[in-house]
Formats: sequence, C-alpha cells, structure tokens
Amino acid sequence: MGNYVGGAAPAAGALPQHGSRAAAPRRAAAGRRHRRRGDCLLVNVEVPEEIRQAAAALAPEAELRLAAASDLGADGRYGERWLVLAGERLLVLAPAGTQPRVLVDLPLKEISEVQVENLVGGAMLQAVVDGRKLDVISYSNALAKRFGRVRGQLDAVAKGKPIPEAAEQPDRCPVCGLVLGENTRACPRCMRKGAVLRRLLQYARPYRARLVLVTLLMLGAALFGVAPPYLTKILVDEVLIPRANGYLLGWLVAGLAVTNVLSTLLAVWRSRVAAWVGGRVSFDIRAALYEHLQWLSMRYYDRHPTGTMISRLSQDSGGVQNFMADGLPWIASNLISLVVVTGALLWLNWQLTLLVLIPAPVVSVMGLALWRRMRQAFFRNWRSWGRFHTVVHDTLSRTKIIKAFSQERAEIERFKLRNADLFGTSVFAEQTWATFMPLIGLITSAGSLLVWYFGGRIILGNEGLSVGGLMAFLGLLGMLYGPINVLTQTAQWVTRALTAAERIFEVLDAEALEYNLGQGLTKSVVGEIEFRNVVFGYEKHQPVLKDISFTVERGQMLGLVGKSGVGKSTIINLLCRFYDVDEGEILVDGVSLRELDLAAYRSRLGAVLQDPLLFSGTVAENIAYGKRDASPEEIMAAAKVANAHEFIVNKPDGYDEQVGERGDRLSAGEKQRICIARAILHDPAILILDEATANVDLETENAIQEAIGRLIAGRTTFAIAHRLSTLRNAHHLLVMEDGKIAEYGTHEELSAQQGVYSRLLDIHHKTSLVKAVDG
Amino acid sequence: MDNEQPTSPAEPAQLRYLKPRQVRVFRTPNGQLRATIEGERSVIAPRFLRALPLTDPDRYISLREAEPQGKEVGLLRHWQRLDRESRELVQAELDRRYLYPVLKRIVSLENLFTAAVCVFETDRGVRKVTLRDVRDNVVYLGEGRILITDAEGNRYDIRRLDGLDARSRTLLGQIL
Repeated sequence: MGNYVGGAAPAAGALPQHGSRAAAPRRAAAGRRHRRRGDCLLVNVEVPEEIRQAAAALAPEAELRLAAASDLGADGRYGERWLVLAGERLLVLAPAGTQPRVLVDLPLKEISEVQVENLVGGAMLQAVVDGRKLDVISYSNALAKRFGRVRGQLDAVAKGKPIPEAAEQPDRCPVCGLVLGENTRACPRCMRKGAVLRRLLQYARPYRARLVLVTLLMLGAALFGVAPPYLTKILVDEVLIPRANGYLLGWLVAGLAVTNVLSTLLAVWRSRVAAWVGGRVSFDIRAALYEHLQWLSMRYYDRHPTGTMISRLSQDSGGVQNFMADGLPWIASNLISLVVVTGALLWLNWQLTLLVLIPAPVVSVMGLALWRRMRQAFFRNWRSWGRFHTVVHDTLSRTKIIKAFSQERAEIERFKLRNADLFGTSVFAEQTWATFMPLIGLITSAGSLLVWYFGGRIILGNEGLSVGGLMAFLGLLGMLYGPINVLTQTAQWVTRALTAAERIFEVLDAEALEYNLGQGLTKSVVGEIEFRNVVFGYEKHQPVLKDISFTVERGQMLGLVGKSGVGKSTIINLLCRFYDVDEGEILVDGVSLRELDLAAYRSRLGAVLQDPLLFSGTVAENIAYGKRDASPEEIMAAAKVANAHEFIVNKPDGYDEQVGERGDRLSAGEKQRICIARAILHDPAILILDEATANVDLETENAIQEAIGRLIAGRTTFAIAHRLSTLRNAHHLLVMEDGKIAEYGTHEELSAQQGVYSRLLDIHHKTSLVKAVDG
Repeated sequence: MDNEQPTSPAEPAQLRYLKPRQVRVFRTPNGQLRATIEGERSVIAPRFLRALPLTDPDRYISLREAEPQGKEVGLLRHWQRLDRESRELVQAELDRRYLYPVLKRIVSLENLFTAAVCVFETDRGVRKVTLRDVRDNVVYLGEGRILITDAEGNRYDIRRLDGLDARSRTLLGQIL
C-alpha cells in the first residue's frame, strides 16, 4: 500500500488531478543507491538464476529493476512466467529448462501507459504502444494485488513519474505459510482442535471454584454409587444364602436406602451448579460474540450472509451451552464413575474384570469411526439450517414484492426445497446416530454374558467368588458399561460443541476495524476533507474508485453527480470509513482518517440517507438515536427545525408514537424528516446527504427541502444530488464517470461546458418534463 | 444507495442478434483484432463476452465495442457457425478472458476445520489452494454444480458433483 507520509499541507480548493499531486513518496533507504529515472523495487525478491541470466543476455549491462512472477502460463494453464524490467526493456520470460523462452520484449520508451484489463478469474497487464493495447502478462485473481502494484510502478516508470512505494503485504501465516483469510489473523493449521477445546474452557476459568465443587460432588456421587452392589453382596452372602443373621437384613436395606438418597442429592446439587456454570459460560461467549459483531468492518458483512451470523449467535452458542452445561459435566462424571467402578471390580475379582474389559477397545474404535461420520453429518445439517434461515429471512422481509409479483407459490416451492434439504440432512444425521448406537450397545452387552459364563464357572469350581460377589459384579458391570456408552456419546457432544465453538471463534478471530489507532482526536473535527489519490474496490482487484483526489473546505457543500454505479456511494462509504482505502488516503483536517479515533470521528458525522432507516421504537427514541441523553426540549427543537414537529404532535401518541418495524407505520416523507431531525440533533460537522427521489407530494417535498436547507447550513456536506436545486446550491460539483472524476466545478461552470454534466442536465430536464406531463 | 438517473436514449429497447454470415473477425496486418458487420460497420478491438458464462457458455456471445464505452454491437447465438478464421479468433478471445478452471479431481485435502488446504486437479493443471470459510464461499447452482472460491479470490467450477470420483467426493464431503 502506498503510504504517503507528511506531504505538503493540502492546498485549499485543490482541483482534482491525476497523479500529479502524488506527493513525494517516502523511498526505502535501499532504493537510494540507484536513483535514476525511477528506480523500482523488486516485487518478489527471489528471481530464479536462469531468468536473471536470460534477462542479462537480452539486456546486457542493464540492472534488474523489477521482477514479478505470474501463476499462469501463456496457454492459460497453471504455470510460471516472469515479468522483468531489465534496464530499458520490459520482458516476459517463461522458464524452459536452462534457456527461458522470451514471450514479450518491449522497449520501455515505446510504452506510453500500463493498464490492467480485468478478465474473468484473473487479469491481463497491458502496455499501450502507439495507442494500441498489447497483452503483456496474465495472472489469476490470487496475484491481483501484486500486479496492481506492478502496474502502478511500471506506469510510473513509463511516464517518467516518481514511483509509488510497493511493499508486499503479508497475507500468509508466518509459521506455516497458509493463506490467511482477509479478516482473520488466526491460522487454522497452527491452531488445532485441542486448542479450540482449551479456548472454550478458558471461558470457564472465572468460575473455577464452582467447577472444583462440581468435581468433588461427582466423586462423592460415584463413591455412593458403588456402595449398593457391595451391600447387595453382604446381603446375599451373609444373610440370604446362609439364611442367617436376620438382624442384618433391616440394617442393610436401610443402608441401601441411605446411599440411594445421598447419591441422588449429590447428583441434584452437582447438576444445579454445573447448569449455572454452563449457562454463564455461554452467556459470556454470546456477549463477546455480539460485541465483536458490532465492531466488525462492513467488508466482513459483505462476505458473510446474515443468516449464518444469526445461526452462529443462536444455534452455535446454544450448542456450546449444551456442551458446557450438560455435556462436559456428564462426560466428567461418567469418567469418574468409570474409574471408581473399575477399581471396585478389580477389587472384587481382577481376572474376571480383565475379561469383561475385552469389548472396551472395540467400543472405542467404533466410537471413533462414528465420531468422523457424525461430524460430517452434523456439518451438513448445520449448513442446511443456515440456508434455511437465509431463505426464510429473504422471503419474510420481502413479502410485498412476493405478493406484487404473485410469487407466493414459487416461494412456497423454494421453501419446500430448503425444508426438504433440512429434513434430509437431519434425518441423515439422526439415522447415522440411531444405527451406530445400538450396535455399540450390542457389543457392550456381550460383557455380561461373559460374566455369567466365566463367573458361573468360578463359583462352580469354588475358586474364590461367592454368589453375592457375582451379583455385586453384575451390578457393578451395569454401572461400567453405562459410562462407556456415555463416553462414546462424547463423540457427539464434543463434535457438536467444537464445531459450534470453531464457528464462533472464527467470527471472534475476524479482525475488527481498529477504532482507536493513533493519537485520536486532539481537537474536534471542523470538517475539511481531502481525498488524495484514493484507489478502492470492494473486491480488491476491481477498483471502483480509481485515483480520486479532491478537497472540500470546511462548511462547503460538494455535490456528487453521475450515473448509478460510478462510485458516488463508494466515496460516502469511504468517508464514513465503512471501508479502508486500498491506496492513497483520506485526510480530515489534515490528519489521515486511519489515524483518527474512529468512534470520535464518526460521532462528528451525520447522514440523511435515501432510504430512511428507523429502528423499531418511538419517534423520540429514533430522533435521539445519535444522542441518547437528549432532553425532550432538545428532541422537539430538532424536530421543529426539521419541519417534523407538527406532524409528530398530531400523532395520537405524539413523540411516544411507535414507528413500527423499520418505521413502517410512517409515510416516506415523515420518515425522511425524522431522519433529518436525528441528524440535526446529532449536530455533525460533516454531513452526508443522499437525496431521496421518493415520490412525495409537493408540499411535503418543500417541507423536506426546507429542513435540509436548515440542516446543511455551516456543515461540510457531501450530497449525492438528484435535485436541480441541490446542484445549484452546492459550492462545487464532482461529476464522476467510471470511478474517475470527469468534471469538477460549480454548477454554472459545468453547465456552460459541453460535457458530462450538461448531458446529465439535459436528461434531467427531459425526464422532469415527462414527469410533469405524466403528472 | 445509488439512484438510477433515467437515461433515456442510452440503450435500444431490443436485442440485436447477429447472423454468423454477417460477421467476420480477423487481425489487421499490424495485429489489431477487428470485426466487421457486413455492409454496416467495423469494430476495432472488439470484445467477446459470454452472456451466460456458467449455464450456457457456448451460446450467446456478446460482440462489444472496445472499452471504455464498450457497448454491445450484437449477440451471436451460434458463434461456432462463423467462418474458420473468425471462429478461431473468437475462441482465442474467450480462452483469454475466461480463466476460471474446472475442477476434475481432488488430489489431497488437509482439513483444518475453519480452512482446508487442497490440491486440485483442474483442466488448467494442478494447483494447491487454500479454502477459507468454505461454507460461506460455496455456491450451489443446482443439479450438483458447485462453485468454490478460494481464499485468494480464485473460483473453481465443479460441473457435476457426481461426476467426480468417489475419493474426491468423500474429501469434498468433509468440508461441504
């Protein structure tokens, strides 16, 4: 990214110019050695020896000024080609053994311009020679950024201009080289599953004391759990078989009752505490997730459908809660009883114990296989839910359109498809589960058969096991396979929870926009804005704004004019810092936007948008949205300025009137004026005005116009202008075409020219005439 | 947010289909690509775009003027019926522009759960790719056709899921 540091103070009222104000770039110290007409930086440093030699052979004595590798061969297949600027020759070389093939050899002096043609799935670097575009080298999207910089450098060299700096931004994991996502720093290879579990458990850390209590309760419950079989043994061996010691009978039964009651009480206590910890942990995770979602950049929201976000917040955090509240304690308590029971079994008869443990490995292996299958099945099910949500959200929020086009049936069909998909994937998941579980059960039950047979033989052979011992053994055995069965379910619990946790962490790891970089605002924003050589694209390789430079002085109004899709709204988006510029910078009062405290800066921004966005709540709440502590007097004063007071007071509930979901219970003109009142109360230094062309009656229109006039007075205003009156009032107009500034000047200046603006005006007049005729 | 200014005479209201016989594509002696519409006009450095690159790539080729204005001159419904030289040049132009590879086989897949590192065998050769947020970067076009976009913005076309071999499908199943 070109970082222009320092530079002259922005000249007042600078006209937009291409490149010439590209400020002296800060050169890397290394580049100073050969500064001639433009020294380039090598874009990739490791140039293969044969390429170096080939370049040297073609341009002897010339230094290698730039080199970059493409990932496509000349035939469009994956391969390698090198773009090399050697001295005054631009070469493209394809490695072919020791003697690279020369595909392009252009003298630099013949090149008047270097361009990029966007292709589908990649792009082509082109050199303009004699007014003709010559293909130089193509590359896939992966290298768009790199070649974007190469283009900038070559173009500068060709035009004899200073060369922009071009440091490659690392987008790979520094440890393993994995390509990292654009919005995340976490490398999934270096962060493994164990880490996900550990990270999940981190959230339980603050509640350590309770967890220790839970563990102790589990241990107690397990010990009480093995007492009944032991009491049974005494009952059978000392009382029932000898038909003696009758006095013991009552005591033993009482003992059984007491241990039962105690272990039940302990279990209840344990579950109550565990439920609290689990609930609390997922509460914390949800809070962290929602908070993080609020701070994520618009770019992130562009890429991730809202449906999957909602399912992360509700379903995934629910999954984590289940795991923390039920799954994990359940697994832990079963592990503890497994240990205790195994101990008791070994104490009763160790040979027999080893025998019944034979099926255990088989159970574990099957559990693992199941683990893998289940994970996949649940993934699919989760994905179906996400798509299901998207469809439901899509249709329910667009009911009017559906009805207007009478597409109810088609939408029902679309829903059916998703619903059927959901049905399919959940059935698949549940059936997989339902098939494997009984199989595991069958294998484990084989253990009791072994006990009956071999235990019976020991008793018959009189080899140290009593009938009571065998009964106790069988009783304990039931308690052994229980936990084993449960522990195979661990697969499900852990799988569900970890995949849910992974998805949550994925969002948490997505980098939030840095709000508090730099020194923040030292003084309050007065609103002088400069765009300096701004390049930006929503997709990084497709610039929407191409080298935009202009200045708006404090308190002035800039009208943005142009057809739809030329980049007007993009300028607004960048001004709000919904996105960061790819190249160049935006200066507010001479300070780079990136260095401002974002929250403080945005608090000085206000917007009245074409689509008046209201939140459900009262009129007063909506007006006070940007200033929550506003007094009723302030709210009413703002509404008055916005020509809204009259109609608001006329509502049955006045300022306490509910606006309905998204303000649906108000008319378009009313919503507009509430938005204006909101902006007035917010008192921004910089105002963004996206004029509505909504059809409102003339009287309302005038009321809105008047309100807007009052709002913009004294504020630096960026207006996406549609009305002639606004165009006339603007201090300057910026006419955009294809991401570039086509014209700049006042309304009078531009209408006098026979340019883009006067053409647009003509169209405007014609259509207004048509409107007038149509009435 | 943008509002469409009604631009009245910007586009004619009807599509124009060009007959293959009308159109000739050739290179001028200095190498410039050119197309002539018989008895009507000549287009310098024309562009050829697919109107339906995914669902019907072999029909409906839009013959357009050069950038930046680049309006459509007409649509070629069956460009394969052009004369041989023209056909080859159009084919070359299409090959030059459409760089999205078709996935043939998955050679290997390392599942990192939030990402996957795969080796894809495509019609353009073998390539190691990193997929991130896989589920958010997959488009299901129906009838088993899937588009996957990797972490670097490259897209891979799976024409038919059941056209892949069993192993590739199993590997893909791990991440989809």
